[in-house]
Amino acid sequence: MALEAYLIHILILVGIYIILALALQLAMGFTGLLNIGHVAFYGIGAYTSALLALNLGVPFWFGLIIGGLVASIFGILLAIPTTKLKGDYLAIGTLGFAIIIFSILQNWISLTNGPLGLPGIPKPILFGFKFTGFSYLILVYVFVLITYWIVKKIVKSPFGRVLKAVKDDELAASSLGKNPIKYKIIAFAVSAFLAGIAGSLYAHYISFIDPSSFTILESILIISMVIIGGLGSIGGAIFGAAFLILIQEPIRFLPLPSSVLGALRQMIYSGLLIILLIFKPKGLWGGKNASRN
Amino acid sequence: MLLPQLIVNGIIAGAIYALVAASFSLIFNILKFMDLSPGALFVIGAFATYAFNILFGMNFFISLLLGLIVVAICGVLINLIVYTPLRKRKADNFSLLLASFGVFLFLTGMILLIFGAEVKSFGFPIEKGYEILGIVITKLQIILIIVSLILFVALQLFMTKTKIGKALRAISDNPRIASTLGINTEKFTNITFIISSLLAGIAGILISLEQNLDHAMGFSVILKGITASVVGGIGSVPAALIGGFLIGIVENIGIWFLPSGFKDAIAFVILIIFLLIRPKGLFGVKTREEVSG
Repeated sequence: MALEAYLIHILILVGIYIILALALQLAMGFTGLLNIGHVAFYGIGAYTSALLALNLGVPFWFGLIIGGLVASIFGILLAIPTTKLKGDYLAIGTLGFAIIIFSILQNWISLTNGPLGLPGIPKPILFGFKFTGFSYLILVYVFVLITYWIVKKIVKSPFGRVLKAVKDDELAASSLGKNPIKYKIIAFAVSAFLAGIAGSLYAHYISFIDPSSFTILESILIISMVIIGGLGSIGGAIFGAAFLILIQEPIRFLPLPSSVLGALRQMIYSGLLIILLIFKPKGLWGGKNASRN
Repeated sequence: MLLPQLIVNGIIAGAIYALVAASFSLIFNILKFMDLSPGALFVIGAFATYAFNILFGMNFFISLLLGLIVVAICGVLINLIVYTPLRKRKADNFSLLLASFGVFLFLTGMILLIFGAEVKSFGFPIEKGYEILGIVITKLQIILIIVSLILFVALQLFMTKTKIGKALRAISDNPRIASTLGINTEKFTNITFIISSLLAGIAGILISLEQNLDHAMGFSVILKGITASVVGGIGSVPAALIGGFLIGIVENIGIWFLPSGFKDAIAFVILIIFLLIRPKGLFGVKTREEVSG
């Protein structure tokens, strides 16, 4: 029984990270927006939906959607000024945004309860049926499928082809009458919306959230998933998310203090990221669209 | 007399940010990518010196020297192992930035693994500060500011008066012309990393004499360093100095109005404002086209 519960737990986490990685793939892999602040949208979604449920008794299903919408509003607010910036300046700008959001979660005590976090976030209920354990797993994967479908639809649509054109050659795209900034902002908003949904799924699953789940390290973990899978590849993002979550698990069983375990996990995924960037920049999945250089 | 004290506190913090900003800016000028590894070298400098001095019981100044040698070796190794292969395959700036994030996480994880999470200190006796016009400042803090200023003068003289410094500036202006003129860019890349690591390492040692040693201190410091160099104007040594002091002073005055937890957020709000309104910084020479696309 314990093993079964553990497996369900891991698979739920994998599902949530697949949503996050697919969302980031849309902004980073397909549109070329180098977003280091992805975790901020995840956190905004989680906190919005948790606070709505705890303070106003809003049901999960509405909280989830509102969480996604609030995240995408922040996405648009961030995108309007920053998408004008070039590559690594955009990266630093989004990094700054994530740190500002983290500071707010940590310090706006009256709203977020600060470092003590929000306990007792309720499980979703539908017609008297409460989602926990295995049924929550199914729920998460329904959202994984929806995310997969949305991202795939966007990428294959004429809109997605413009996104790719914007990424490959912005000047050419704009000379064909496409407004690159507008397309970038929409891609950013959708990406933030999906990340917000993932945040809400996480909050109602784990039932306790605090700012420590939404540090910049999470962003780097999600970016690593996308890079390890291969930029610009949907399958790659799914593979990368599953791979990086699963590879960290065996370490958990080593008889070591938790601070040491944390350090080891950090070294493993950052080491993997470096090795892949050097030797296999197209990722392990090797999507055919994965060219960046 | 609160305000003058906050300004002095800001100058003390600013002296550290300025050194890290110079470390960051040097690499950005020569290699044109944003490198976060100075944040790790900052921590390594402090912990290596601590290891020689406290754990191995060596004389403080010998430990300091050995600590700086360790830092310089680490800097060159990072360049040779990670950045050189990436540059050889003409990786884009974002890949280099991400790799540097990987380097940062890997090295700080390693420090945590080796030294553990408990707080360490050089154990200097706590001294009573001097009181000048109601402002309290300790001897160590005065030394810290003076060392930082001396290093800036030395760096400026080195860059403008010596052959190596002139070659570095030539590479910074135009690497292709510099290499046709017979300047061995690879060799100078390593020299850049030595100087940059030493600046970060010294900053780390200085702050750990003043406060405790903490493996996590590198991240906030490198982010402030980047902010300082963007605000001052990426690409100039004196600008990094002024940017550093400015960030230090503004965030210290800021906590007069806001809870001190918002310190990091204040620096990043300034960063984002500068990226949007004046991306070349206060004294920058970059055109807008280089920053935004």
